[in-house]
Amino acid sequence: MSDENELIQELVDVVGPQNVLTDPTALSVYECDGATLFKALPDMVVFPENAQQISTIVKLANKYQTPFIARGGGTGLSGGMLPVRGGMLIALNRLDRILEIDLKNQRAVVEPGVVNLLLTHAVQDDGYFYAPDPSSQKACTIGGNIAENSGGPHTLKYGVTTDHILGLEVVLPNGEIVVFGGAIEETPGYDLRGVMIGSEGTFGIVTKATVRLLRSPQTYQTTLSIFETMDDASNAVSSIIAAGIIPAALEMMDQLVIKALEDGFHYGFPLDAEAILIVELDGIEAGMQDQAQRIIDILNKHNAREVRYAKDDADRENLWKARKSAFGAFGRLAPSYITQDGVVPRTQLPKVLRQVAAISRKYDIPIANVFHAGDGNIHPIVLFDERDPDQCERVELVNEEILTACAEAGGTITGEHGIGIEKMDYMPLIFSPDDLKVMASVRDVFNPTGLCNPGKIFPTPESYIKLGLAG
Amino acid sequence: MTMPNLHLLHEELIQIVGKNGLLPNDWYNDYRVDGFTPRAVVLPASVQQIRELLTCAADRKLSVIPAGSGTKLGIGNLPQKVDLVLSTRRLDNMVEYEPADLTVTVQAGMRLENLQAQLAENGQYLPLDPTYASLATVGGIAATNASGPLRMRHGTPRNQVLGMRVVQSDGAVVKSGGKVVKNVSGYDLNKLYIGSFGTLGIITELTFKLFPLAESRITMLLRFQRYEDAVKAASDITTSQLLPSYLNLIINGVPDTTLAESSLVVGLDAHPKAAAWQRNQVQWIAKQRGAIGVEIIQEPQAAKLVEAMRAFAQANPSGQVIVCKANLRMSDIGEYLGVAFAVTNALSWSVRVMGLMGTGQVYFVFSEFFDMIEPKMIASTLAQLRKHAASVGGNLILEAAPVDVKRQIDVWGTVGSGSEIMRKIKAQFDPNMLLNPGRFADGI
Repeated sequence: MSDENELIQELVDVVGPQNVLTDPTALSVYECDGATLFKALPDMVVFPENAQQISTIVKLANKYQTPFIARGGGTGLSGGMLPVRGGMLIALNRLDRILEIDLKNQRAVVEPGVVNLLLTHAVQDDGYFYAPDPSSQKACTIGGNIAENSGGPHTLKYGVTTDHILGLEVVLPNGEIVVFGGAIEETPGYDLRGVMIGSEGTFGIVTKATVRLLRSPQTYQTTLSIFETMDDASNAVSSIIAAGIIPAALEMMDQLVIKALEDGFHYGFPLDAEAILIVELDGIEAGMQDQAQRIIDILNKHNAREVRYAKDDADRENLWKARKSAFGAFGRLAPSYITQDGVVPRTQLPKVLRQVAAISRKYDIPIANVFHAGDGNIHPIVLFDERDPDQCERVELVNEEILTACAEAGGTITGEHGIGIEKMDYMPLIFSPDDLKVMASVRDVFNPTGLCNPGKIFPTPESYIKLGLAG
Repeated sequence: MTMPNLHLLHEELIQIVGKNGLLPNDWYNDYRVDGFTPRAVVLPASVQQIRELLTCAADRKLSVIPAGSGTKLGIGNLPQKVDLVLSTRRLDNMVEYEPADLTVTVQAGMRLENLQAQLAENGQYLPLDPTYASLATVGGIAATNASGPLRMRHGTPRNQVLGMRVVQSDGAVVKSGGKVVKNVSGYDLNKLYIGSFGTLGIITELTFKLFPLAESRITMLLRFQRYEDAVKAASDITTSQLLPSYLNLIINGVPDTTLAESSLVVGLDAHPKAAAWQRNQVQWIAKQRGAIGVEIIQEPQAAKLVEAMRAFAQANPSGQVIVCKANLRMSDIGEYLGVAFAVTNALSWSVRVMGLMGTGQVYFVFSEFFDMIEPKMIASTLAQLRKHAASVGGNLILEAAPVDVKRQIDVWGTVGSGSEIMRKIKAQFDPNMLLNPGRFADGI
């Protein structure tokens, strides 16, 4: 019996034959995440149901020197779960229980496979919610959110995943089960929970998380406004921030997105408009009308052509539908797209958006923009046809120039999607070899054999050559 | 080290930091660490000087105690040795501030008070309110993850630091994070440095997320005959839709104020109408819970009250004070207070308590002639309090205690199953145990 067959036999002994996939057709479902351009087949997928089984599986992976990677909802956008060196995917979908809801202390204990939105569903009737809300929240899991330190439209006010996690149970890459943090706000020693969050599955596998729940806002005030020029919309964003108002969300979409939305869904947006801005306030009802009026005044002052205003929950959902259906609409514009995720200081937004437009013209590759304007987190959607090798080459250069522009504006190359394999080549744009050495030394503490999610985050010698930084 | 050697050391240090960078001997008492007087206190004026100091320390096998103004040097286990105290307080420039970005980058030695004054000119602030308001530096605040009552609404440095520049023990200058409000590029090493008490490197620069100053503030003081009722009122507030900035239970008063035996101080920062609505709600809750007094505190008394709460857990230098911080689930606070009072009342220790009811920290400040009490007995009492906290999933950290007591008890308590990873991280960052050796949790 080969090593691989022996390993499979041992896995079957742990989780049962129905929970080990090895058939190539079945495996092909697991060859990519939401960044569908990158593909790699695992040798096997295993479906454990608890931390103890995961610990045993990880120890087996070590015994057979097989790379292993945890997988949640498979909605990642940077190829973070891709088995680039083959090996084993550990799918966490069966660890999908909400173990404890403690409203008095505003927290819940969940398994990693719990779908983000289902957690909010479980507590919303009691008047609570889980704040991080990535656009994929109907499918992505809390475990995946922790691996990527996910954000979402409402992070402007509520922060990102790391601000909402109190404690973690983790299976370390050697199979040991440990606990970082706890049910309380502070524990002595280094903040290993904080370091674990956002480590993109390279520090081990989260098997349980204590998360913070927040009281649902009493009320919302949501506006959707239409602008003739991108600059007017950007200036409106700056003025809102400068007025000392922190909205719950501040989202923008450009002309190409408006066109795609109109083609697909007929919201009645004017096709000659350059930008749509969604501003949402939430919180205590008293005084909210005044604040909403201030926002509307600012929008009008910056030449908003039209301001739509949600009168009730149904209206609010309608306004958001335009934003949330944007990604579904891109299929109409091109066969393939890549979503970039750079972040720039808010004041640099107009400049960087102009740069993105120039890059689009230079390489004759259309780019749509739908982004979190309040955070300075842009999402240029690079549209192309992956069957055309010439376009693919130009897309590569487009990506590099956009990320370089973000870095040069004092920003960063990813705000919420992660580095994964998609952006590892660009890490030298923002981190020096010394910076990366320190990161690698921390990885080596958690993951000394490198078997846990190998080939991610860190640039290779080729990356430096590609960026013209070798030498 | 004999005297001539000490003289040579000082000569060598002056070569690096200049005469102004070496504190005169008569000031060293300000930087004593648990009774140890440092061999030198250096105030580097540049990152390059910090690198050279670390190289010198490594060559001479000297321990380095990083500090800002030195206000938190008392937190930690007894040091193994105290050679160089390295204060970053001369690195106090603002590096970059664009108000419209709602972020600021400053050098580590800038005092929070100075930063706030500059931010206030633009209607902004950094929502951190740790002890030693006028002295604490932003670097020291981050290194100790220090916070105050405002953490209920805004969290701790953990939630507000966006990026850092740190000199590693080998002299390499590295950055973590960045200058933008959302960033998942690479590992989040900010979290490692925040609260590491200088054991992993010397922080030289920080970028913070900022907030607009509140449009209006209402400060309320609720008085109760029994602390149990105050705890219930606090719970009513935290489970309501109110959004206070702080919600502090105070038992046995704050010196220089007129607080009753058990008081709740509620801060409402919001739009004037939202603040007024919340005030009415709090008044109603107070009535339901049998408050014997409900006051709206006006300025300047309100500011004084906030100052007093910030200073609540400051240890006085007499050494006759023990400060403990219990971390608990909010719903366990009431019962825990009962158990703690039963323990300390039996010894008739005088105690003041401040509970951060929205986040679960309870500060106990004991004042006694502790040098007259057997240190073992004190330590075993504190161990009892710690055990009770642990029994409900909490912990208890000793923030100030006499040296003789520290000989008997670990100020941090156990770190649990993360211990091995923590030690290995320390070994990677500081293989020669140069930085603040022995003072942090788990013997690090």
